[in-house]
Amino acid sequence: MMKSGPAMINLAHRKGALAGHFLRMGLFCAAILACCTRSHAQETTTVFPAPAGERHILILHGATDLEAFEPLLRGFQRIAPDVTIRYTEAVTNALFDKARRDCAEKRAGADLLVTSSVDHLVVLSNEGCARQHRSIETASSPAWTRWRDEVFGFTFEPAVIVYNRALVPKADVPNTRIELINLMREQPDRYSGRIGAYDIALSGIGYLFATFDGRNALVYGRLIEGFGRMRLVTRCCTSDLVRELSEGKISIGYNLLGSYALAAQRKGAPIGIVVPRDYVLALSRAAMIPAESPNPVLARRFLDFLLSPAGQKIIREDAFFFDFSGRLPEGVEGPPALMEAGIVRPIVIGPGLLPVQDNARRRRALDEWRRSIELAPSAATRD
Amino acid sequence: MPSLFARLIGLIALVLLLGAMMLGWAAWIYARVAADEAYDRLLVGAALQIAESVAAEPGRVTVDPPISAFEMLAMAVDDRIFYRVVDPRGETLTGQADLPSARSDTRPGREPALLDGQYRGFPVRIVTLGRFITGPDLAGWVEVTVAQTRIARLGLARDLTFKALLLVLGMSTFALIGVVIAVRRALRPLDQVEAVLKARDPKDLSPVELETPREIRPLVEAINHFLGRHSERISSMERFIADAAHQIRTPLTALAAQVELLSTETRAERQRSQISRVRERTDELGRLTGQLLSHAMVIHRREVVPLEPVDLVPLVRAALTEAVPLSLDRDIRISFRAEQPAMIVSGDRVSIREAVANVIHNAARHGAPGELSVTLSAAQSGARVTIEDDGRGIPEAFWPEVTKPFVRGPNGEASLGTGSGLGLAIAADVLSAHGGALSFAFTRGGHFVVELQFPGLHAGPDLEAYSSIHDAAGPESWPKRAFPASRRRKKRAP
Repeated sequence: MMKSGPAMINLAHRKGALAGHFLRMGLFCAAILACCTRSHAQETTTVFPAPAGERHILILHGATDLEAFEPLLRGFQRIAPDVTIRYTEAVTNALFDKARRDCAEKRAGADLLVTSSVDHLVVLSNEGCARQHRSIETASSPAWTRWRDEVFGFTFEPAVIVYNRALVPKADVPNTRIELINLMREQPDRYSGRIGAYDIALSGIGYLFATFDGRNALVYGRLIEGFGRMRLVTRCCTSDLVRELSEGKISIGYNLLGSYALAAQRKGAPIGIVVPRDYVLALSRAAMIPAESPNPVLARRFLDFLLSPAGQKIIREDAFFFDFSGRLPEGVEGPPALMEAGIVRPIVIGPGLLPVQDNARRRRALDEWRRSIELAPSAATRD
Repeated sequence: MPSLFARLIGLIALVLLLGAMMLGWAAWIYARVAADEAYDRLLVGAALQIAESVAAEPGRVTVDPPISAFEMLAMAVDDRIFYRVVDPRGETLTGQADLPSARSDTRPGREPALLDGQYRGFPVRIVTLGRFITGPDLAGWVEVTVAQTRIARLGLARDLTFKALLLVLGMSTFALIGVVIAVRRALRPLDQVEAVLKARDPKDLSPVELETPREIRPLVEAINHFLGRHSERISSMERFIADAAHQIRTPLTALAAQVELLSTETRAERQRSQISRVRERTDELGRLTGQLLSHAMVIHRREVVPLEPVDLVPLVRAALTEAVPLSLDRDIRISFRAEQPAMIVSGDRVSIREAVANVIHNAARHGAPGELSVTLSAAQSGARVTIEDDGRGIPEAFWPEVTKPFVRGPNGEASLGTGSGLGLAIAADVLSAHGGALSFAFTRGGHFVVELQFPGLHAGPDLEAYSSIHDAAGPESWPKRAFPASRRRKKRAP
């Protein structure tokens, strides 16, 4: 990516775009920095100037790593060279709060929202904060990725188990949740303090996965109990977990976004990726056009691009590596065809996501989570 | 005027269309109820699931809205969902704090209450139900309200209605096709009647012989009746013309002979007497012609002139004054008497007058050597005009004959030979046209009586008013008047 030449320009320094290569290099570093510290609720706006002279501006608000998203933005600019894209990256909660505020005050904000916290978009759509869009592209996407023609999932991202190849012997690699539970029970010393997962209080995706994992109550209860005994390492984001896995600080990561892990693996991280064979949760990162979008026509065009074969090709090859076909990419262990194996449990974009963000429910879920994670070790020591 | 076929089909199509519209409307109402019933079950189920997730813990009430509840509601794919859970203290535990309850009264209960409403500008169906919880330090009703927009309900209702309408329209079209065929078949006998009548010779007036359905039979019978009457009239006219020609030819021949005699007569005295004979013949011929025309007129009026209220008193009096010939070779006493000042019958003024005049004329000419009295009296159901004279009258044996045209009474023939034989026939025709009767009688004193019996006075409001005016003028019996025939023109008013 560094080799491809930096073209990102921080908005605050947009006028300095002429300042040349060195400045751009510096700014790119700043952008990377911002990316890595985004968990601290900072907003970063990156501008992709129109390659053929700016005639339109597309304002995107997203909670997706720029690294993953950039190929798609560039791909769009290839078919719409007169569009300047302003991509503002924020954490999911900040994105949701701002969009909700904009909607309530009828203030023009983004043209398009892109986030992995699809439950947020479903809540916004439910409250009438979205614009409908129907096209050939939207109609051809899977039914579970659409709601009301307002929220559109455009990726297929399974929750996978990631392990460090050096630290986990082949025999220990868990292929199912039961195997993971057994591993924790049978080799507590080896894996104690070396299993990582999302901090569901901080990570929207982690919370979402935990919610849907929790529906399989029996297995999930034992899993949480095991995590508690193992003194689970919790982190805010996929990138942190993947980094610590590749550095060997932790051995096994549970329910990580497959796309990010695969990206790291392809960059040389010594990690293995396993799609659980019992069932695999799948998330579709989603986009929505806010009701007050300043340029909905352009937003629709970009949305159609995301869902189009061209956009899906970029998603499969450069951005998220999985697509709706469920074909297993190289470097991932598991059944070769996820859909045919019948183990995919998609997080259906629809009203079922409404209670996920329910305050009472969330409080209760977090309480239970903390109690399991934090109280279990003491119980274990009593044993 | 549109054809019978078009009228029938148009009317039936209209009825079918109205029926289809009503059925469509009913289907819409029913479909909405059905859609509401179907989706209400889901809504109540979801609310129950949420209520089940409420738990009382020390110091607080918790709720954990299950995803499955919302997934159940997601059967209505595109509908928005809002919910709210209120704890016993009235605080919103979770959900939209401004979502209204479906319960109109504040009394909580387990039974779900359903309501159509609006929330945030969306038409929604709201369900509210309660769950009683008892915790260590808190007990009371938790109220769960779930609202869902109506898109799927409306869609289902539309779908059901559309299908029902298709069915109804299909049935209606089928029925209409059936009706078209049935009406075509039903109207076919009319075409047959038409064909038979068209194919007929114009001179053929015999009844139509055709097998027809019951409904068409009256038409054929009416046609046959008309044909019958028509042929009757034609034959009676033919007969009348033949008779009339014969009747006129005889006096004309006599007249020609007398004129011939007159032209060869040289004696002045004989000439004078011949001239007077010629004048008599001419008079007779004139009267005969007049009566022939009058008979024709009476027959004609009988067919065409509608009946109206007629007061017989002035009518008969006028007829009397006109009918007695200006010059009679003898003096007779003529009297007129009416029992009531006005006697109303329904009839044709001109025909009645002609009838009465003819009878009086006959009496004056052929009967009455010295006395002629005309009396109007009320019969038990109608009015009676009695013409009485002191002549020999018509012998009883001739009574049935004399009312036929061109049949003379023995007096007419014997005495003067000037009667046309039409007078009584005219009177009898008029009376039969009025539903009355002409009859003859002899009084005990040997006077000859002709009675004209008119049927019942119609007691309509107009007639009552009419007669009451005359009653007010004076109901007493009229004085009997007698005056010489030569000066009978004096008229007495009451």
